[in-house]
Amino acid sequence: MDFTFTEDQLLFQESVRDFLRNEVTPERIRASWESDSGREDALWAQLAELGLTGMTVPESSGGLGMSALDFVLLAQECGYVALPEPLVHTALVAVPALCDIGGELAEQWLPRVAAGEAKVVVGLEQNMLVEDAHVADLLLLQRGAALLAATPDQVSLRHNESVDPSRKLYAVDIDAAAAPVVEGEQAQRIVARALDHGALGSAAQALGLAQRMVDMSVQYTAERQQFGVPIGSFQAVKHHMANIAVRLEYARAPVHRAAYAIAHERANAALAVSHAKLAACEAANLAAKNCIQVHGAMGYTWEVDLHIFMKKAWALANTWGDAGYHKARVGERIFADGAVLGAGATF
Amino acid sequence: MKVSFSEEDEHFRTEIAGWLQDNLRGEFEKLRYRGGPGDEHMYPQERQAWEQRLAEGGWTCVGWPQEYGGRACSIEQQVIFFEEYARAGAPGRVGHIGEGLAGPTIIAFGSDEQKAKYLPGIVAGTQLWCQGYSEPGAGSDLANVKTRARFDEARGKWIISGQKVWTSLAHESDYCFLIARTDPDSVAHKGLGFFLVAMDQPGVEVRPIVQITGTSEFNEVFFDEAECDAADIVGAPGDGWKVAMGLLGFERGVSTLGQQMQFQNELDQVVALARENGAAADPVIRQRIAKAHAELKIMRYNAMRMLSGQSGGDGSLQKEALIYKLYWASWHRSLGELAMDVMGPECEILPAAPYELSRLQAMYLFVRADTIYGGTNQIQRNIIAERGLGMPKEPRGNA
Repeated sequence: MDFTFTEDQLLFQESVRDFLRNEVTPERIRASWESDSGREDALWAQLAELGLTGMTVPESSGGLGMSALDFVLLAQECGYVALPEPLVHTALVAVPALCDIGGELAEQWLPRVAAGEAKVVVGLEQNMLVEDAHVADLLLLQRGAALLAATPDQVSLRHNESVDPSRKLYAVDIDAAAAPVVEGEQAQRIVARALDHGALGSAAQALGLAQRMVDMSVQYTAERQQFGVPIGSFQAVKHHMANIAVRLEYARAPVHRAAYAIAHERANAALAVSHAKLAACEAANLAAKNCIQVHGAMGYTWEVDLHIFMKKAWALANTWGDAGYHKARVGERIFADGAVLGAGATF
Repeated sequence: MKVSFSEEDEHFRTEIAGWLQDNLRGEFEKLRYRGGPGDEHMYPQERQAWEQRLAEGGWTCVGWPQEYGGRACSIEQQVIFFEEYARAGAPGRVGHIGEGLAGPTIIAFGSDEQKAKYLPGIVAGTQLWCQGYSEPGAGSDLANVKTRARFDEARGKWIISGQKVWTSLAHESDYCFLIARTDPDSVAHKGLGFFLVAMDQPGVEVRPIVQITGTSEFNEVFFDEAECDAADIVGAPGDGWKVAMGLLGFERGVSTLGQQMQFQNELDQVVALARENGAAADPVIRQRIAKAHAELKIMRYNAMRMLSGQSGGDGSLQKEALIYKLYWASWHRSLGELAMDVMGPECEILPAAPYELSRLQAMYLFVRADTIYGGTNQIQRNIIAERGLGMPKEPRGNA
């Protein structure tokens, strides 16, 4: 039994953390809200150069051949800065889906994704809308029991505004020209895995978002003075922060455990993912609520950066399966005939 | 104990309901369900025109004494008025700060001259008010006011300088009532004055604050040598805190009933959505809706109990009133969460660009402010513990 990460995994996290915190500032995110696409080619090129777009691409296709477990800490860092670029989607959803599909399509696109030359997005019916379809070079789209691959010229997009101005969502109509690449049971399996990967990515980002809101609020409550002392010295304020800390720390283990289950293709991976997403998104929502509260009225302004993180947490909680969906999945598992839940069934 | 309305009261209900039906149409039709909290930036001019229409019908300041232009309605009739107003979907009142706060304060503490000068404009809906309490350094620590008022003998006026913040409707208002330090050497709640200041003058600048909803209802207000007539201080210099605290009692008065009817409208909307999108079949959602319904009823019964205590004079108003802000703000914040859970994954999607929120999405964001303004939940709990239960005061530094 070992819940710790390796030295290499932690070192990689540290270097990615440094890069993201220096580059992806709240000012830069606000600037991206004003741009047409909300995305920056230069930043994507830098992420590719760091090997991040190819993290989970097999070495044979020019990637680093890493797993979801290797990427989960990086997804947390993406959450911490509320990265608008679709990095988590690429590494945790699109690349694994391409690998699952395999064949010519994978051979053709994986090296380009690793090199940062192409973006691939996955659109599942569970999500209704497709993230970042406007910058995608290839769209993998679920239509009923089939998975289709479409290039931008084969689809028409309708933009939908998100509560998180960084998220770019599209309704995608496919022209008849796009043919199914996978059908039937295989397609269902790929769709199910993509949903789990997406949920894991959201959960990991939620951990980072919660941590960011906590860090901002600890700093603010140490600086803001009322009654002649920092407001953070009041128990009523401390307890708000402590309540988040408890929820957040206890959400980390389920997320890491789910990443392990996905990376090792464990039979109960879906259950672990549902648990992780529920725990992490609950922690992030509590963090948003309490951190706005301890910021007082400032927390309710557009000017203070808190809402950048609060709104991403709000959006992620409801995508790749909302709380009701994931609770139902856990419930079904518990009540399944012959469910083994006790000793020997921890993992 | 008599928890019902009299025949006379029911007649009154028919009268106000009929009036609203006859008047909330035509140019005012579009104001239905608009301009409430989270939506106060909408239709300010039209809502002021509506305010004046209400005045023509005698439906402003219904609880005020007749000598000041009010209708002298009983508590029961005020309850009915607010119920019917909300039921009709009549818009958020732009005159509510004047009617609910400034006016009652002037009636209770003001001079005859102040009453004659200010009350008619409030009753007529022609003059709007805003409240200048909070400052950048005076939020929870409200007494830490830094805005100064010095009396200029030569001009015979008070000269006011400083900054107020979170001021609702400042950009629409004709007057601001504010607290400022009349004794520059004083600290905390001593040495403050309560002033009635005209907004349309060179020394007053209003800057809107953009909220997380992307819209602006609150403002910063900068006073730079703004003038205030010698006759426009309420009470004596140094009485400001006493007057301001007296006013807080009005804030928890009968206007809460209108707020509860608005809550009922929001809850109705959540229930309708749950029926429509199937969320009502989810037993967890059903229980949460039932809980919200029960808690809203608790608020209503207690408001009426509190108000009948006031009219019966059994002296129980104050401690009950301490609880109310914490209860409704927390309830409303939970309603926002419930609304988003009922919406499900669609709660992420906005109806239109740029950043136009649906009513429920705006509510979900706006309720985050409810547990902060007018005394945070934390301050409310301190007040309940210290003033209500008589527990020892929390150490609060040296300020």
